[in-house]
Amino acid sequence: MARYFSIFLTFARACLVRDMTFRANFVLECLTSLGWMSMNLAFYLLVFQFTPEIGKGTGWTREPFFAFVATGLIINSIVQALFMPSAEELTEMVRTGGLDGVLVQPLDAQFLLSMHRVDFSSFANGLVGVGLLGWAVSRMDHTPPATAWLLYPFLILCGVAILYALVIMLAAATILLGRNQSLYDFWFYLTNFSRYPAEIYAGPWGGPLRALCTFVIPILLVVNVPARVIALPLEGQAWGLVWLAVTAAMASLVVSRIVFQTALAKYRSASS
Amino acid sequence: MHNSSGDARTVAAVIEVEDLAKSYRVFDKPEGLAASVKSLFHRPSRTVEALKGVSLTVGRGEFVALLGPNGAGKTTFLKLLSGIITPTRGTARVLGHVPWERADDFRRRFALVMGQKNQLWWDLPAAESFRLHREIYRIEPGRFERTRDELVDLLGVRKLVLQPVRDLSLGERMKLELVAALLHEPEVLFLDEPTIGLDVVAQHALHQFLAHIQVERRMTIVLTTHYMKDVAALCHRAIVITDGSILYDGSLDQIVDRFTTHKIVTLDLDGTPTAADFAHLGFPCEVRGPRVTLRIDRQRIADVLPEILRGRQVRDVSVEDVPLEEIVAALFRSGAAGAARAPAEARA
Repeated sequence: MARYFSIFLTFARACLVRDMTFRANFVLECLTSLGWMSMNLAFYLLVFQFTPEIGKGTGWTREPFFAFVATGLIINSIVQALFMPSAEELTEMVRTGGLDGVLVQPLDAQFLLSMHRVDFSSFANGLVGVGLLGWAVSRMDHTPPATAWLLYPFLILCGVAILYALVIMLAAATILLGRNQSLYDFWFYLTNFSRYPAEIYAGPWGGPLRALCTFVIPILLVVNVPARVIALPLEGQAWGLVWLAVTAAMASLVVSRIVFQTALAKYRSASS
Repeated sequence: MHNSSGDARTVAAVIEVEDLAKSYRVFDKPEGLAASVKSLFHRPSRTVEALKGVSLTVGRGEFVALLGPNGAGKTTFLKLLSGIITPTRGTARVLGHVPWERADDFRRRFALVMGQKNQLWWDLPAAESFRLHREIYRIEPGRFERTRDELVDLLGVRKLVLQPVRDLSLGERMKLELVAALLHEPEVLFLDEPTIGLDVVAQHALHQFLAHIQVERRMTIVLTTHYMKDVAALCHRAIVITDGSILYDGSLDQIVDRFTTHKIVTLDLDGTPTAADFAHLGFPCEVRGPRVTLRIDRQRIADVLPEILRGRQVRDVSVEDVPLEEIVAALFRSGAAGAARAPAEARA
């Protein structure tokens, strides 16, 4: 484990050196990312001009909701910074045969393929997320207990693990199909579901959708569970969701590992 | 420069392959819009046999050339031996490991260099890739620095390791690729067209380096190439693959002996010779200015040469084998797999 961490740090260092080589590009990426996030926040502020709460009696008033948004920003920035750049590169590696060079190295291929690129500019959103979380929590009606603060980073990791597993399964599909750009678009659409409180998925079609995105593809647990723990009172149903998030994270990692190994065994390499 | 190990195969087998085959299912993409729409529902496919039951053994310290036309199965063979892909049937052991099980212990002991694929980080100096390599292969720092310095000095690229890879020429990049591949001191090196696109100076530098490093480290090297200069400079043994099968497996000298019936005699004469002057000999003759080229039956060289030289003012004369390219090209075309295969005793 220590060796893998050391290798990851070497990757991260190399990526930082590269990013520093193209400083203007790095700054532009940070600004683009922050601009997109600012527009989203402005949109939510507009929404709260017309309603005090997202769903009557749900508890998602303005400040808790912004704690929710901040949690989403933190989780997504980690995934975008650590895993997505490598996953996006995988399509090209499979198409051109660059994956061959990875498979001959004495390291776990999943680790190499999913963590060899780090996009430091994506951490900018995460930092803003941390600031937004501090602002929102300080203005909330209730103060999160110490248990919530202890659980929060752990559940953030669970959320990251679920998204990572999803990325890995899409990477596996890339290896099997040879080209898979549309499935990364699918990832974007799917993760959109995680950006809103689960309570909005109600009614005759919302209920089944919520069940699907909780138990089959547990995307709704990614942001909802850590955000709920920190922004809403930690009682009753919240504990059940905590266990569900932990179980879903572990199950997702195991399933994604199996799928990825199966795909690697079927890799056929590109012609030279 | 030839392998100095004599017959290494009688020592320890580093690569053992038995009936190795690989086939792919490929889809045909019909032409036109209507056919493309139809192919959404039904895509015609066929099976391509890239390798058809290859068997061979390579001993420690051998430098083996894999020759064959494009699509013959050479790279597929290397990919199987490297564990990148899994075979359809057959067995292989490299350094005692089944390659496609991808054991770390196996992957630490060999290296693969592909002339058409860049494995160094494109935007960074090679030194950064070397550092990463040290971490991945767990090379002890002292040993890493010693090996790196030795390799960059041998290849004359010390000044280039701090330059971004994207700014280097193809030849410089290939030298640094080789340095990266050899940092962990592999016992087996697979080279897939390492000199492709390189100028003659860079090719020569790589030949010298590979010949030196192979002898120095007693490394087993399998090389695929289309350049006969690579083969002649480096390899003692050549394996010719066409259409997924081994057509010839034996020494380079034997290729010449077995598959050519004549030698090329070149004369530089005073005056202006004509083809008619040599017609009575009965051998193909080509005349360009004072230079005459004759293709003479190998068995008759000793008898015919004095007759050619007699009474002529000869400035220079040379007797050479038919170029290896020509022989191998003829071999590729022949496709006579069974008939052409060298007998086992000839290979020993």
